[in-house]
Amino acid sequence: MAGEKVKTGIPKRRAGSREKKDWVAAYIFIAPVTLGLIVFYIWPFIQNVWFSFNEVSKFNVATFVGLQNYIDIFKDSEVWRTFGNTLKYVIFTVPIGIFLSIFLAALLNSKIRGTSIYRTLYFLPSVTMAAAVSMVWKWIYNEKMGILNSVIKGLGGEGHGWLTNGTTALYMIMLVGIWMTVGYNMIILLAGMQGISRSYYEAASIDGAGTFAQFFKITIPMLTPTIFFVLITSIISGFQVFDVIYMMIGKTNPAYENTQTVVMLFYRQAFDYGHKGYAAAISILIFAVIMLVTVIQMVGQKKWVNYE
Amino acid sequence: MRKNLKKLAALGLAFVMGAALLAGCESSGGGDSSSSGGKTKLTLGIWDENQRPAMEALVEAYEAENEDVTVEIQLTPYKGSEYWTKLEASATGGKAPDVFWLNVLHVDSYVDGGILADLTDAIADSDIPDNYSETLIDNYVRDGVNYAVPKDFDTNALWYNKEIFDAAGVDYPTDDMDYEDLKALALELQAAGLDDGVYPFACPVDFQTWYYQTVYANGGWILNDDATETGYGEAKTQEGIQCWIDLIEAGLSPKASALAETTADAMFSGGQLAMNFAGSYMVPEYAGNDAIADKVDCVEIPTFNGVEDNCINGLGYAVYEGSKNKDAAIEFAIWLGSEEAMKIQGETGVVISARTDAQKYFAEANPDYNLAAYTNHADEAYPLPVCLKAAELYDLESTWLTKAYTGEMTLEDACKELKTEADALLAK
Repeated sequence: MAGEKVKTGIPKRRAGSREKKDWVAAYIFIAPVTLGLIVFYIWPFIQNVWFSFNEVSKFNVATFVGLQNYIDIFKDSEVWRTFGNTLKYVIFTVPIGIFLSIFLAALLNSKIRGTSIYRTLYFLPSVTMAAAVSMVWKWIYNEKMGILNSVIKGLGGEGHGWLTNGTTALYMIMLVGIWMTVGYNMIILLAGMQGISRSYYEAASIDGAGTFAQFFKITIPMLTPTIFFVLITSIISGFQVFDVIYMMIGKTNPAYENTQTVVMLFYRQAFDYGHKGYAAAISILIFAVIMLVTVIQMVGQKKWVNYE
Repeated sequence: MRKNLKKLAALGLAFVMGAALLAGCESSGGGDSSSSGGKTKLTLGIWDENQRPAMEALVEAYEAENEDVTVEIQLTPYKGSEYWTKLEASATGGKAPDVFWLNVLHVDSYVDGGILADLTDAIADSDIPDNYSETLIDNYVRDGVNYAVPKDFDTNALWYNKEIFDAAGVDYPTDDMDYEDLKALALELQAAGLDDGVYPFACPVDFQTWYYQTVYANGGWILNDDATETGYGEAKTQEGIQCWIDLIEAGLSPKASALAETTADAMFSGGQLAMNFAGSYMVPEYAGNDAIADKVDCVEIPTFNGVEDNCINGLGYAVYEGSKNKDAAIEFAIWLGSEEAMKIQGETGVVISARTDAQKYFAEANPDYNLAAYTNHADEAYPLPVCLKAAELYDLESTWLTKAYTGEMTLEDACKELKTEADALLAK
């Protein structure tokens, strides 16, 4: 009761009008970014949802078809095959990628000579265009003249069509995917590690904990919020893998069917075949799956993520 | 006071940024045509950098004759469907180029989308019907309506590397060969012993330059006239494909998987193929490649069972239905098909001009090669099968045929599956 009285006092009204002014200014400040977000993300997203209930021709003439696109998706074996490939990609690249990133971050967090050189080196793939990276790796893997086969042959082994064999192609692509993302995740994890207070380690040292015990008992638990962030973003980008595969696998590649991801299928349907409505429905499905996985993680995180 | 000043400055900055953002949108629109200062402005949409000089020469000549018209060339790369994606987006927004290149493969969907202007009367009033082969004009006719002026066409030829033939002591290919002669020649090269990694010939999974030619020459078919059924199940169709798989199995061509990584063109350019099929659009690439330019030449595509077999594809100039200067655009498109324009294009030697009397310029511009091989039988060449779902059909075809080329399935089984899926696609 007493609190209410204070709130209705004169000073409050003044604060209110000043607050209002601040709000207006704040809105104007964020306007450029928000406008961009609305024009380039939110409006297309809404349009996309609408498209998914329509049959849309190449020239954006939409005819309402209700749920037909979604019904077609469930009957389309290609959707399921490409989702299978995508899932495989996520299941392999995310854990391996995060494990490697933590490992590298821990190494670079120690006091060795030239850490900044190593940090730059590991981060380089992340600032290189995916298209350029893919072209280089495509040559490395080339059956006839790739450096990988040259090395294997030099060691007395036999060459292999890494990207043209249905059983190996997707794993070879995963390797490139991991190589490209490890540096970025490493930098984030490194920042997380450096944010852990020294006093924990000092206390642990006094208690006689060794380097490994410190790493598993202090670093990892304190790092879980960062690991969680990296996990979420890695899974999302894993589900959206496109450019590397688009650049590395041609349509006459015998491993074509084994390497097509769901975003590749979306791209083909929308831009090669002109089925924009169907493609929109596929993209909504991808969105739903990613959201579901993220929600599950958000719920699950309470069990393992440690907020000081 | 000072605080307000800061706020004001930041606000101003925000506005500038916002304005820049909007300005960015504005300028990327492009393709807009308008009449300003009494001059009619037209845009010409193209995709090939190699042909930019030819197009610039055409624009210059046209502007000299028509002082009230200016033409701007708008180049968008073909790779990764970028050209089509942009064209479709700009047509949706009402801002497509007034005149643009259109290839045979895209005619159906663009007619369907209603963005192509009707050129029937303009073409009938010009000298085009008398000076172009009917096949080429009809490539752009749907339901009796002309939608484009033929620009150029491409056919195929057999290229060979003289150095490899000399080293093996085998005679060069000739214009009068048939498929069996080609195979015999390849076997002869193989027997003579080629360097490690060098092959006599290559058979990639390629429809236009390889198997459609033999499929049609053999009396097979791919798509029926009303695009309701595919002919992959026919024995005659399969024979025209099997003949290339046979060459792979005989070790005369690299495996299909190897060709998926390193294209036949790349291998030929790298001196790793004694012979290769190549479309006329490859000529500037070969002629401009110092490593092989002096060592290669070409002859006509070998006949199959005594039948001339070449596939013809090409492109034309189409006019955008929504153009603000449609009449001027149509006039320009018709002029691009005139004797004068076709000569200017032909003399650059980059493509084969579609006009009958201008075809010779292609061979004349590159006298070092036997380029008449491309035009000698162009009138007998087969046009590509096209329909509204062509892009999907070709993808299905390459997916299934790749399985037959790699030996994963027999051709008969692959064609059976392919026919089922392709017919279902057409029925949709």
